[in-house]
Amino acid sequence: MHCCTSLMFLCCILTMNSLSPEVALSRISPELRPLLCSVVRNGRVGLDSTNCLRITDLKTGCTSLTPGPCCDRFKLHIPYAGETLKWDIIFNASDPELPPDFIFGEDAEFLPEPSELPHLVAWDAADPECLLQLVKELLQQYHQYQCQRLRDSSRLLFEYDSLLEDPNYGRSMEIYAGRKNSWTGEFSARFLLKLPVDFSNIPIYLLKDTALDPGEDVALLSVSFEDAEATQVFPKLFLSPSIEHALGGPSALHIPAFPSGGCLIDYVPQVCQLLTNKVQYVIQGYHKRREYIAAFLSHFGMGVVEYDAVGFTKLTLLLMWKDFCFLVHVDLPLYFPRDQPTLTFQSIYHFTSSGQLYSQVQKSYPYSPRWDGNEMAKRAKAYFKSFIPQFQEGAFANGKL
Amino acid sequence: MAASISGYTFSSVCYHSANSNSDHEGFLLGEVRQEETLSISDSQISSSEFLHVVEVHNHEPCAQLFSFYDYAGKVSEENLNRILKDRRKNVIGWYRFRRNTQQQMSFREQVIHKQLTHILGIPDLVFLLFSFISTANSSTHALEYVLFRPNRRYNQRISLSIPNLGNTSQQEYKVSSVPNTSKNYANVIKEHGAEFFDKDGVMKDIRAIFQLYSALQEKVQAVCVEVDQSERVKEKIQEEVKKLKEEIALRKRSTAAEERRYQDSVNTDAHLLQDDSALSDSSPPSLTRVVLQSPPLEPSLDWPANSTPPPLYTAALPPDPPSAVLLPRPQAVGSPGHPSPSLGLGNGDGSSSDSLNRQAIGQEDQAEEDDEEEDDDEDSSEYENLVSEQLQSPFLTETVSLGRPATLWPDGDTHSSSGSS
Repeated sequence: MHCCTSLMFLCCILTMNSLSPEVALSRISPELRPLLCSVVRNGRVGLDSTNCLRITDLKTGCTSLTPGPCCDRFKLHIPYAGETLKWDIIFNASDPELPPDFIFGEDAEFLPEPSELPHLVAWDAADPECLLQLVKELLQQYHQYQCQRLRDSSRLLFEYDSLLEDPNYGRSMEIYAGRKNSWTGEFSARFLLKLPVDFSNIPIYLLKDTALDPGEDVALLSVSFEDAEATQVFPKLFLSPSIEHALGGPSALHIPAFPSGGCLIDYVPQVCQLLTNKVQYVIQGYHKRREYIAAFLSHFGMGVVEYDAVGFTKLTLLLMWKDFCFLVHVDLPLYFPRDQPTLTFQSIYHFTSSGQLYSQVQKSYPYSPRWDGNEMAKRAKAYFKSFIPQFQEGAFANGKL
Repeated sequence: MAASISGYTFSSVCYHSANSNSDHEGFLLGEVRQEETLSISDSQISSSEFLHVVEVHNHEPCAQLFSFYDYAGKVSEENLNRILKDRRKNVIGWYRFRRNTQQQMSFREQVIHKQLTHILGIPDLVFLLFSFISTANSSTHALEYVLFRPNRRYNQRISLSIPNLGNTSQQEYKVSSVPNTSKNYANVIKEHGAEFFDKDGVMKDIRAIFQLYSALQEKVQAVCVEVDQSERVKEKIQEEVKKLKEEIALRKRSTAAEERRYQDSVNTDAHLLQDDSALSDSSPPSLTRVVLQSPPLEPSLDWPANSTPPPLYTAALPPDPPSAVLLPRPQAVGSPGHPSPSLGLGNGDGSSSDSLNRQAIGQEDQAEEDDEEEDDDEDSSEYENLVSEQLQSPFLTETVSLGRPATLWPDGDTHSSSGSS
């Protein structure tokens, strides 16, 4: 599935330890099950909401003689800023009304202030969403903590602050300030930004062609700073599967390299614009194609055999010239009208040696993207007339009846 | 920093923890002390090392979770006091037990720890974390424990030692300094203690042994004094003996000179020569000399009053020289034909010579007869023979009758006429 490659780093890579949500739920102590249900089934936290929270390493805090299911502690995998946080959550099955305890994995210095966690202070075990909300609050605190860590590098702090000021990006940002490389003393950080691109006008037909649950359409830009001085910067664009498909597949992920000495506050809008343009193209293309097809319909009327009435990407005409009937298949590309439609002429009489109908493809013919649909139809008609004799000869010569 | 926990406290904590069906927590009571070790080496005059020693004496388990803190992890001092009551001042740390979790302080534990440090006023509050890991099929269970001191930035983990938990055949059995805080124990000891302890709290046996030791020491001191005195007496006597020897030697030399003069004068007289030869036939010339010489010596000698009177010579020199009974033949001691004076002791064949010689040589604290034996080089051997043959028992120094021909009492009685010792 090509969509997988795009979100490879964000997708959960299934390991031996991972359990399907259903299996995990079945092993959890019954009193805790509702809490975990919402986490496992609906739990989307952070920017990358296409990725679910995952539970592994289910263990129990009861004596080993307690009959199951009685698991009450587990590891929660949370995608954040391109990393996966592994937090231990510890409940007690014999006291299910009590709030859980947390071990924040390798982030031993992360200690959120309990008063900033309303769902912990007012923990309500009867509310199935409580745990999920608490995790979201913790994640917010974690984000604050990471931003604090950026203070080790003034350059990165500047990047952060400048982005923060921009309302477009400031609110939907995840920062992961990595560990200092203990040998080189290098400090690395990753910024994950949600790009404020409007995908709502993308025609539905483009979006429905994915097997995965598309979720929210989102474009994320991940920028990795491998050193504190921002000399090694690696940006990467991530699109949700449907968007990526709509924009033409993996090629949609190409973005310009980060300019050396540049900063995020300049680069990010650039990428945004690029993406927006692409989206515009796609939308426009759709409309243009519609227009084109409509024009051909009106020009050729009964000559239209069939056309794609949803995506308007194809059109087949059956035409006759001097008692010679032929088919013309028109393939409209995604970035029409920028890209020229492909015309395929096909004889209905002649076969090639391989048993196919004799056809010829024409990719270059008089064309201009600036013409409107009518104009294109007229010009196409004229072209057909000029090209058909040639085609007929070819058909007679190369094909057999 | 070193930490130790007594075996029974540790097992009690484990017992409480393992029997709880959930996580378990409680407080550790004990004491912290600082030990200073002064070490002197060649390179430094002295260096002192300070060691914090944390000792856990007891524990106070909490009946349930969240008993002294709320959901937000805020510690309630009131509840804390209710749990600890008057043991609050003995608190040195707290512990938590959780199954199947990592050996790392959790979020809430850290929050609580900070507050406890502040409320209890203990800057170096410790936290003991027990984690109980079971394998999936419950075949193996491991109880792991780590002692943290989270208030420090570095070296947060301390190793906790449990005295005598281990192979005591290779290590010494250590007496722990952890006091027994049980009231019952204290009562019993108080009640029965009077039988073993005196009023100062020292075991009675110890005092008795000390007394014995002191008594022995006194005796030894007294004996030392006696030995000192007798040594001095001995020294004095030895001096006298030395003097006497010198005198004897002098006299011998003078008599020898006289005799030579006499011999010279007699040489011209053939009559004297015959007598001499007759005498010498019957006995070796040494005997002659003995016979001739000994009488004049005797009366001129001054015998010390306390010395043994010389019955040896008076008795040993009867006018009946050839009598083998009274005068042992001056053969070499140890010759087989020599009738050993029947004291019944010593060896018949004269193998008593060694002992007799030893006797003769070694008996300096005996009466002066011994010294008499060693007078002259040429004479001493005879004297030795004379005396040593009569000394039958080398080891019964006190009972040997020096100077008394043992043959006078053939039944073997040794009557020492001399006050030998």
